[in-house]
Amino acid sequence: MADYITAFLTLMEPMNFIMMYICSLVGCVLGAIPGLSGGLGITLILPLTFALETNLSFAMLLGMYVGGVSGSFIAAVLVGIPGSAASIGTCYDGYPMTKKGKAAKALSIGITGSFIGTFVSILVCTFASGYIADIALMLGPWEYFSLCLMAITMVVGLSNGSVFRGLLAAFLGLWLSCVGGDLVTNQLRFTFGNTNLYGGINVVCMLMGTFALQQVATSYAKGQQTMPEVDGKGLSGLGLTLKDFTDNIRTILESLVIGLVIGFLPGMGSGISNLIAYGRAKNSSKHPELFGTGIDQGVWATEVANNAGVGGALIPMISLGIPGDGTCVLLLSAMTIKGLQPGPMFIEQNPVLANLIFVTVLVSAILIFITELLTKRWFPLLLKAPYHYLYSAIMMICFMGAFSGTTSMFGVYMVLVFGAMGILMDMFRLPMTPLMLAFILGGKIESYFRMGCSYARGDLTSFVTRPISLIFILIALWSVLGPVVMKLIKSKKKA
Amino acid sequence: MKKINRTYLAGIVALIFAAWVAWQTTLIPERLVSNEPGPKMFPFISAAGIAVMAILMMIFDGPKEENAPYLDKAGWKRMGLIILESLVFCLCMQYIGFWITAMAGTLMFILTLSSHKKINKPFAVIFSIALASICYFGFTKGFAIPLPKGELWEMLNIPMP
Repeated sequence: MADYITAFLTLMEPMNFIMMYICSLVGCVLGAIPGLSGGLGITLILPLTFALETNLSFAMLLGMYVGGVSGSFIAAVLVGIPGSAASIGTCYDGYPMTKKGKAAKALSIGITGSFIGTFVSILVCTFASGYIADIALMLGPWEYFSLCLMAITMVVGLSNGSVFRGLLAAFLGLWLSCVGGDLVTNQLRFTFGNTNLYGGINVVCMLMGTFALQQVATSYAKGQQTMPEVDGKGLSGLGLTLKDFTDNIRTILESLVIGLVIGFLPGMGSGISNLIAYGRAKNSSKHPELFGTGIDQGVWATEVANNAGVGGALIPMISLGIPGDGTCVLLLSAMTIKGLQPGPMFIEQNPVLANLIFVTVLVSAILIFITELLTKRWFPLLLKAPYHYLYSAIMMICFMGAFSGTTSMFGVYMVLVFGAMGILMDMFRLPMTPLMLAFILGGKIESYFRMGCSYARGDLTSFVTRPISLIFILIALWSVLGPVVMKLIKSKKKA
Repeated sequence: MKKINRTYLAGIVALIFAAWVAWQTTLIPERLVSNEPGPKMFPFISAAGIAVMAILMMIFDGPKEENAPYLDKAGWKRMGLIILESLVFCLCMQYIGFWITAMAGTLMFILTLSSHKKINKPFAVIFSIALASICYFGFTKGFAIPLPKGELWEMLNIPMP
């Protein structure tokens, strides 16, 4: 406890506190702009930390991290374009809520959900990181493979209408993840000699094409160039009632657990947890047909889960020296730059710094929450802008984001390719969510499967003889077959 | 003659695509690593999955689908125009650089997306120039993130800011 208080007092030193707050705000703004992210902010300030004192460096880096994840919901809610992969799921109900004139409520849920996710997850991380990290170590490639498979099949259930369309989209996503060097033998696949494809397809380009370009092109082609109205209610204060919390308490708690668990598994992250939480919320709802039409539960699920991933991702980073997500790789680099060695001995050897990391995340979350609540009334001003100005600016920023994300023109052309793919998928009524999740998880599924086979000397039964792996596989099977079986039973009963 | 609906069309496109993926997969060289399935397995699973789902989709969803067009003729023209403009934006970004392209391109998008509504053209010009300049100089000078300066100017040895 003494170390925690020392860390808190260190963070409260004026320079540390002010820089952390500024970085949180910058991260929030970067997270809110489609194509940019808090990760970009960390990349930008990483070189600065060479010359800075260690505590100040980490206050800045973590402020940027929390701000980036927290701010990504804003664009998803207001214009239906995710700020990053962490808020893909937020688009599905957040934007329809805005279209219905409920932008203020969607923003309130996003702000509060983000805060709850980060706040609770960092408390869990502070007091239980050692124990949770031990659990992560007990899982092998068999469990990770089965978990990824379960995640994809759960999201296939999200595809409105036909499970076949959902699975077709998922297999397409799986193929897209195969492009580039494979993660086990580094064999190049589907690159056609293009060096830009050696590292695989960039997720930012894919998001910009399938969400931003596709949305602008289809709305223009269909003549739907109108901006939604915003109601004045709920733009000041929290904007939520106690009933909003009690009605959604189950979704909030489930999403917290999903975000934490996905977060603490090495290599997973908020991009995955938000979609799984959305899938879980829909599958467990009494009215799954309302998901996608602008329902509160959808926004709660994704925003709590993606922010809970912050605390979750820090657990393996601090306790095992394994990054929980892409941004943690950058934080880990900062630790190495400072001569620190994250791992099982890190907390014992650097108690104040370890606690400073936890305290910074906690304080950043509180400050962002207060700032977002105070500034929330200005967010919908974006929707007052005429359609042709707002979406022209978004198009330009998306192409810029694709270039800065890949540092090559190839990334910009990929936005066009994925825009065309998004239009085709919209035309053929193929759902985007299973494709995105299968694409994000595809590389992991393949490498865990091949590693599992290799470790078990080619014995495939190892995937079903390990109890946790078997449970995940059974849930995965039920997610796909369950709706079909239930339909058959119902039709037989009727007959 | 009865027109094929979008589900059948999607199924046929998916089947052709799956066949192409399977053929391309056979061209991947195999590296022998003991006790693991190799780099061809997942692309083959993807191809098989796409093909099977396309067939199932055509069988079960195809007959149910109404034959409503996705867009009318004018809609397709608008779709073609915005994609063409996006392509022109990308090409210009590569050859004449981001700054000039963003200024002209944003204005072009504003004029297109406004769909002949009356707009304040001087304001649209100022907005495009200001936004493009803030983005370009903010990124290149403020954050030191490079944006394309234009291959044409590099070829002609004309320095760009």
